[in-house]
This record gives sequence, structure tokens and C-alpha cells, in this order.
Amino acid sequence: MSHLRKVTTKVITTLTASAFLAGTSLGLHAEERRASLAPVPHFVEEAASAGISHTYDGPWEFFVGGGVAIFDCNGDRRPDLFMAGGKNPASLYVNQSPTGGALTFKAQDTGLGDRLGTGVTGAYPLDFDNDGKMDLAVLRLGENLLLKGLGECRFETANRSLAFDGGKEWTTAFSALWEQGAAFPTLAFGNYVDRSAPGSPWGTCHDNFLFRPQGTATDRPDYSEAARLSPGYCALSMLFTDWNRSGEPSLRISNDRQYYRGGEEQLWALPADRPARAYRRADGWRHLKIWGMGIASIDLDVDGYPEFALTSMGDTKLQTLDDEADETVPVYRDIAFEKGVTAHRPYTGTDLRPSTGWHSEFQDVNNDSLWDLFIAKGNVEAMPDFAAYDPDNLLLGQWDNTFVETGDQSGIALERRGRGAGLADFNMDGLLDLVVVNRSGPASLFRNTGAGTAETPRPLGNWLAVEIQQPKMANLNGVGAKVSVKIGTKTIVRDVQIGGGHASGQSTFLHFGLGVSERAQVRVRWPDGDWSHSYRVFANTHVIIDRGAESARLWYPE
Amino acid sequence: MRKVLFSSAIFLSLSGTIVLADEDRPGAAPYPWDETVVRELDFDTTASRGPDATQDLIDLGQRLFEGKFTVKEGAGRPEATQAIVPTKRRRPSQTMFQRMAGLDANACSSCHNVPFSGGAGDFTANVFVSEGFESADFDTSDPQFSNERGTNSMFGAGLIELLAREMTADLRAQRSEALKKARADGAPVTQALETKGVPFGKLIAHPDGSLDVSGVEGIDHDLTLRPFSQKGVFASLRQFTVNAMNQHHGMEAEERFGTQWTGTADFDGDEVEDELSRGQISALVAWQATLPAPGRKKDLPAVWQDAAAKGEELFARTGCTECHRHSLPLDSLTFLDPGPYEGAGTLRPTDVKTPIAIDFSRFDWVKALPRDEKGRVLVPLFGDLKRHRIADAARDTLGNELLSQRFVDRDVFLTAELWGIGSTAPYGHRGDLTTLDEVIEAHGGEATEARKTYSALDEGDKQSIIAFLRSLEITQ
Repeated sequence: MSHLRKVTTKVITTLTASAFLAGTSLGLHAEERRASLAPVPHFVEEAASAGISHTYDGPWEFFVGGGVAIFDCNGDRRPDLFMAGGKNPASLYVNQSPTGGALTFKAQDTGLGDRLGTGVTGAYPLDFDNDGKMDLAVLRLGENLLLKGLGECRFETANRSLAFDGGKEWTTAFSALWEQGAAFPTLAFGNYVDRSAPGSPWGTCHDNFLFRPQGTATDRPDYSEAARLSPGYCALSMLFTDWNRSGEPSLRISNDRQYYRGGEEQLWALPADRPARAYRRADGWRHLKIWGMGIASIDLDVDGYPEFALTSMGDTKLQTLDDEADETVPVYRDIAFEKGVTAHRPYTGTDLRPSTGWHSEFQDVNNDSLWDLFIAKGNVEAMPDFAAYDPDNLLLGQWDNTFVETGDQSGIALERRGRGAGLADFNMDGLLDLVVVNRSGPASLFRNTGAGTAETPRPLGNWLAVEIQQPKMANLNGVGAKVSVKIGTKTIVRDVQIGGGHASGQSTFLHFGLGVSERAQVRVRWPDGDWSHSYRVFANTHVIIDRGAESARLWYPE
Repeated sequence: MRKVLFSSAIFLSLSGTIVLADEDRPGAAPYPWDETVVRELDFDTTASRGPDATQDLIDLGQRLFEGKFTVKEGAGRPEATQAIVPTKRRRPSQTMFQRMAGLDANACSSCHNVPFSGGAGDFTANVFVSEGFESADFDTSDPQFSNERGTNSMFGAGLIELLAREMTADLRAQRSEALKKARADGAPVTQALETKGVPFGKLIAHPDGSLDVSGVEGIDHDLTLRPFSQKGVFASLRQFTVNAMNQHHGMEAEERFGTQWTGTADFDGDEVEDELSRGQISALVAWQATLPAPGRKKDLPAVWQDAAAKGEELFARTGCTECHRHSLPLDSLTFLDPGPYEGAGTLRPTDVKTPIAIDFSRFDWVKALPRDEKGRVLVPLFGDLKRHRIADAARDTLGNELLSQRFVDRDVFLTAELWGIGSTAPYGHRGDLTTLDEVIEAHGGEATEARKTYSALDEGDKQSIIAFLRSLEITQ
């Protein structure tokens, strides 16, 4: 018996500039785009109705930055927002979204005042004093701030009490990690152009700074000593990562070639109790010059070694360890083209000039168990060689291990200049929503309505939201841990990290798409390397895993 | 909708006339001798027709349950395992049929046939179940690779699912109330869980919205009552059907194995795409759901009637009805497909415009069921839809499995519903106990006291209990 299999080739036809302009067949150029076989989620922009009114703006110093911190500042486990404003004051929005409903936020005073509340380029949440209340590292043009969370979304500046010198630099990147045995986190601040240096801005990148906690105090860290990570090459994103499964963190820094001279992308080793050391060519590190804007990291092939997406102007890079690499030799090769994530120019509209990528983040937006990649896009200001209309990307992971662009189909392709961003489940319905901070335009807030509409949201795949805790220990939130979720024969892993993206960080439930699995087994490799036993959990639930607990706690939103 | 294009083929008929195969007659009715089983049925059209469509659904469901699937319509899964989550084989299967890892049956009714189609099965119809992920091609009945189970009867399954849905709703409402109170009071709330008179342990709700579910008993921690399979691990007939059609026949439902969740319409690699549509799965669900509830033997000789009456009284007195409850009350007789608690991979209410509704009150066998003072139908299942530890070191016959299934310990099983047990020998979850006395004596664990009481009865009383149980039969 013979069967003729029906082969369906799905393409999206995009008419490019000449067709639109001519309105005739003359010059018609049709570009075929693959259609996603994975389900495309629908996003509905509802910033205004949600009560979000915020613009990141300002002169040249705020062409970059524009970050958002996503975290729970009032203990209700719903993600709240702290948004950088550039010349405008930073904003704090408290999440009041009904479960599964329209997004709703209430503005609350940051308490920073005019002087400290302006000049903010980005922010990252972390609990630097282990008190269970989320704190903030605020990046600024000028003095950076460590804000101690007081609960109820109130903060106090803790620079003085932590002996932290916020400096005067133009700070645009951040990452943090609890080093082995440390009671408090090590902080890395990445700086951009030194505007006061002769010849500025060309070739005048600031050094970056590393703050390792000093002293023996148990109630708060002492950041009185800063180490320079020199040379700095105008960092726009940095991320502590255990790239080689050594258990010892390294610091990846993505740098903007626009301003450095002789610079490159960087990786710093961070040996315990010894100064940080940059990997060099002799160590296997290969020279790469890009307009590095944002780092996203995920272990796509679950080999224990994370892949890194690096946004830039033009091609986005996707790096994986090369066959020549080993645990001491960080040789990476670019697989962006074969995976379909170069995202090098707008995928819709008439502008064929190269894209400008900023925040990047791996998440599973359709809960099909495949990682997706979001990239915020937008012209720096009015750079003529780069696309003016440059919509954000939503690259959906496919079952053949590639990605397919769906930004326009999903509804996120707005004519705005994206910068920082984050994906989080703001209405606790199991679908990741999206916030994007745009330069010189209103911040966007998209509700993910799954397969449905704003009026009738519909779920996609099954999902699991995981919070991990180390009760009565330093590093309560388990930064540096790895969470492994097993469904059938498939394992999905993600690291608990602070850093990366573009000036934007988050500390919320870790979200996993489970596809058609109705249950999963979760294991945690805690930051000290110990593995937990396997926790058996059902899908479509928030779970809390306390280190050492026999079973996971469940959590339900109101 | 199936999307298969068959190549042209020409056959020589008995009379010597050349006839064309079906594929060259698009839209034409199949030949009377056509070997295929599957027929089209559109879900949305069926749902919109309301009660008028019920019999058509049931008729197609019976056809699909009793028909023998052909490769032409998708039987076989050369590249897929039997697992409930779409899983590729490491290597193609050598044989299409294989008694352990499957395909292990050509039709549903080739196992579910005692005493009628839809019923239980003899030992020869046992099924081998495992998690199915790591040992996709197991070829041994050694319990370290799979668990061997008897075939369950599906009679009365619709009422069972309706009961389970109401119990799930009850328990979840109790959970919500506890959380609400804990949040309002700012203090932990301990909530006893109980529905239809069956206790399910307790949970502790904390003011921050977190739950300690370590005290939950006899049900999964998500408080979804899963009433199907001997372990109680399937929430609905629909979920069970989608699982079983793949495992036993290699007939893959689009809603689980289709492009949306696997990236291909032919996940099992047999060159037939989207083998079962949502409408066809609904037909299978409808037929199974509307199989009549088992009843009692009629026209028994007086001696059996008397013994059975006494036995029923003794059955309660020995403590057997602690778990094998005579009946559970059911509020609603409207069976909606899909059901309310499905996850992705099984059709969900949010996936359809309108669910298919089957009004069970239309069936004479439902009308004949007793009702309580509140007007609720009393479903005479002789069960509690709860899991119990049923074996221990002293009595390990019913704990003979080595693999836990879906988070359920190996010696824990759902209370077997005893309605129809007079028609479904052999007994026990492996179908390897030939008499009712044997299976009663095999009870350990939580059933130890009741079993001891039974054991202490004199032979006459034991026979009365057997007479009672043997009077519970499956009727058509």
C-alpha cells in the first residue's frame, strides 16, 4: 500500500518596500518567511488601561539604558515594576492585576526624590542583605544606588550603611552572584563612556567595577572595596555565568564597539579569593567585536553548558561552545544563522536597513516546552544607516530546534524604540506577559492572551512556575542555582541569575512551559552544588521549593 | 480532520471488472466492504446540533471502539512510543504488534469485551503499562519494566466521571475557602477535605497563599480527582481515550500529537496525518460514557436472593463499605465534553466554541437509578473514588508491582468499583485471582481490619457476601 504524504509548506509573504511604493508589480519583491508550527501567542498592548504611563527619555546619555526591574516589592508574589526614566523620574508600579484578568498597576512613589530618581538607566532586583525583602540595584548616570527593600514597596538608600560608593560613572550594566561560601552577593557594575576623558567619546570607555563583600558582619554586606575590571570596553550588559560547569562563576560582558578602541567581548574568570582575570586569546577566548547590547543565556541543548544570545546592531549572535572548547578553554561559535535568530533587519514593514537589538531574553511564551527568544529593537536615535521602524522580535522555538519570527503575528510589532524589557506573568494566569521600556515613547505593556483575545483569553500549553528558597541561609532566593524540570524524556533547565538583558533584571517565579505534560519532576542544584531530590508536581501550578523540604509547597494567587 | 492523500490503486474485482480504490473517489461513500473504521465527525457541528447529535456520536463511538483499525487510517506508530507525552522511539519498531509495548490490540473491544463490548477482559487481555518514557520497547513482562494490569470495565464510566468532576469542584472550593480565610485572618488555616462523604485528609493554607498539602490523602495534590485506571491516574474518559488510542492502536489524536504540540501532523511516522480528530475522540468518549451503569442480577433463585440480601448487610458490617461505598450522590446529569479539568494535550473547554452536551437523564437506565431526598441520583458504584494503600508486608499479593505510576506508590490503588464485579472475573488489578474469596483475602494495608473481619466469618456468612457480590452484574 502506498501513501502520498501531504506536505504542507507554510510561508508568510512579506511585501517589501518597492511593492508598497510602486503599488504595481514593478519591482515587487516577495520575501518568504517560515510560519511557526508552534502556536503563536496573542499579545494585547494595554499599558494605558493598566495605569502605566512612563517614558524613558533624555539626551545622548540616555540613548542607551531604559531598563526595568520586575520583582515583588510587597510580598504578594505578584511582579511589580521599577522603570528607569532617564531624564524623567524612575517609576514604581505596584501590580494589582486580577488573576487571569486585564493588567492593572498602581503608581507608587519611589521615595528617591528628584535628584536620585532621575538619571536612572536601569535596575536589577536582588535581596542583598538576605532579609527576605527584595532590594534593588539602581544604575544611574552618576551615583548608583543600592536600595534596601522595606516591604510594602518602600525603599531606603543603603549606600552609606553598606559603605557602597555609587561612583560618578555612566553605568549601564549589572550582575550579581553569591560566591561560594559568601554571606552576601558580589556585585558587578558595568560602565559606558567616560565623558570626561580626553577624546571622548571615542576610545574612552570606563573601567567596570566589582564589589566583593568585605568584613564579617552578618546583618548587611560591606562594599567598601571595589576592584576595577580593566580595561572596560563600554559595557551594555553583563552576566555572571557558570559557563563551564566548574561551580566557579565567570563574568560575561557584552560591549559596544561604537566607542571602544581595540576592545572586544569579554569573559572574566572569578577565582575564589583572588582578583578577577580576563580570558585572553591564549586561553581560547576569541576576538569578537559587536555592538553588544544585551545578553540572554539558556542551555538550549541541555548539555550543561549555556548558550548566549548577544544583541547588536545588525546580526544577533547565538553562541555555543565549540568542539574545540573544554572546561578551561572558552571557544564559542556562532549558530545564530542555522537557528534562525540573526534577526538582522526588520521582519515586517518597508525598512530594509539593519536592526538595532537591545534587551534579549529566553522564555517560553507559548508554554510548548520550547524556549523562545524575545529581542527589544529600536534605532539608537536617528541613525540613518539603521532601520527607523524596527519592531521587537518574538522568535518562537520550533520542534526542529530552530526559531521562527512571530513578532507581527503575536501583536508586539509596534513602532517604538525598544530598550529594556522583561517577560513575566503579571496576572498569574500561566502566560508570560511582556513589558518594554521604549526610548522617547510610552512604555509598552502586553498581556499574553494565549490562543484567545483580550475579552476571552485562552491557554496554550501546560506550565509550571517555580520559586526556590534557601530558608535561614544566605542567598535566600538561590541565585546561582539550576532548576531542572523533567517531562517525559525531556529535561528543561534554567539558571537562577541576576544580570544580563539590557539594564533590566527580574526576580519572579521561574516559568517553564510543559507542553502537553500534566506533571513534571523538578530537581534543584543549589548554589553550593548539592542536588535536591526530585519533587513531583502537577502542571498549571505555582510551586515553592524550600531547600531540604520533603515536598514542594503549592501557591495560589487570590 | 484527517489529511491523507492516498495514491491511486487499481484492483481487480471478483467479476473481473476493474474498480478504483477509494482514493480515486474523493467524496464518495466507502465501499460496503471497506476495511477502514474511521469516519468523519465534525466537533463543532456536532456540538451545535445539541441533543439531536447524541445518538450519532454514540453510534460512531461504538464503531470506533469495536472496529479494527487499519494502517490505511493510521494504525501503528513505527516512530512513536506508547507514552502519553509524545515521545519518539530510539529506533523503529521491528514489528507493528507486540504484546507488551504495543501495539497490543487491533480494537478497543478486543480487550474490553467481558461480558459485552465495553466491559472488562480476561487475563489474556491484560495490558502492560509503564511510564513509557525510558523503556519504550520493553519486551518482557518482568515487573521491573512494566506493570501488568487487567482490563477495566467501562460500564457506568460516564457517571463515574461526573461524580469525579463534582468532587474535584468541591475539594477545590474548600481549598479556595481556606486560602481566603488564611489571607483574611493572617493566620494559617487547617482545612479538612471532604466531598460526598468521602474524606481526603487535610491541607494547611498560609496567609501568603502557600499551601502545605502533605496531609492530603487519596488524591493528587492538585485536588483533581482522577477516577480512571486501576491507579486512578486519568481525570477523564477523554484523556484516557487519547492515551489508549496511541498506546494500544497507534491511532494518534490531533489534540495531543498534532502539529501544535509536536511540529508535525504525523508524529508516529506512519505516513498518515492527524489520525483522530477531536470529533472522533468525542464519539469514543460519548459511547464509553453512556454505557449503562451495572446493575443487579434479576430472576435469581430464592436461595441466592436471600443470601445476597444477607451478604449485602454483612458486607457493610465487616467494614468493606468504608471504601466500597454503596453509592455516591450525583447532582448534575449533564455530561459536557470536553470536561472542565483538562490540560493541554486533551481538548479543553477553552479550545472549543461550544462543548458537546449529553443529557444523561434521557437514558432509561439512569431514570431507573434511585435518588436521595435532595433529588440527587445515587450512583451505586460500590467505591469511593479514592486511592488507598491496599497491600503490606503481610499481604503483598496486591502490591506486586515494582513501578510506581504517575507519582502513585506501587502498593496504592484506587478503590475498585464493585458494580458489575459479578461479570468481571478474574479479579485483582492483575486479573490473576480466580475467586472473590481470594481477592478479599488479598486485601492488606488500609483494608486489613475489614479483611480480618471477613476472615473471621463462618463459611455461611462468607458465602452470603460472595452471593451478594456475584449478584452485581453488567447488563446491556
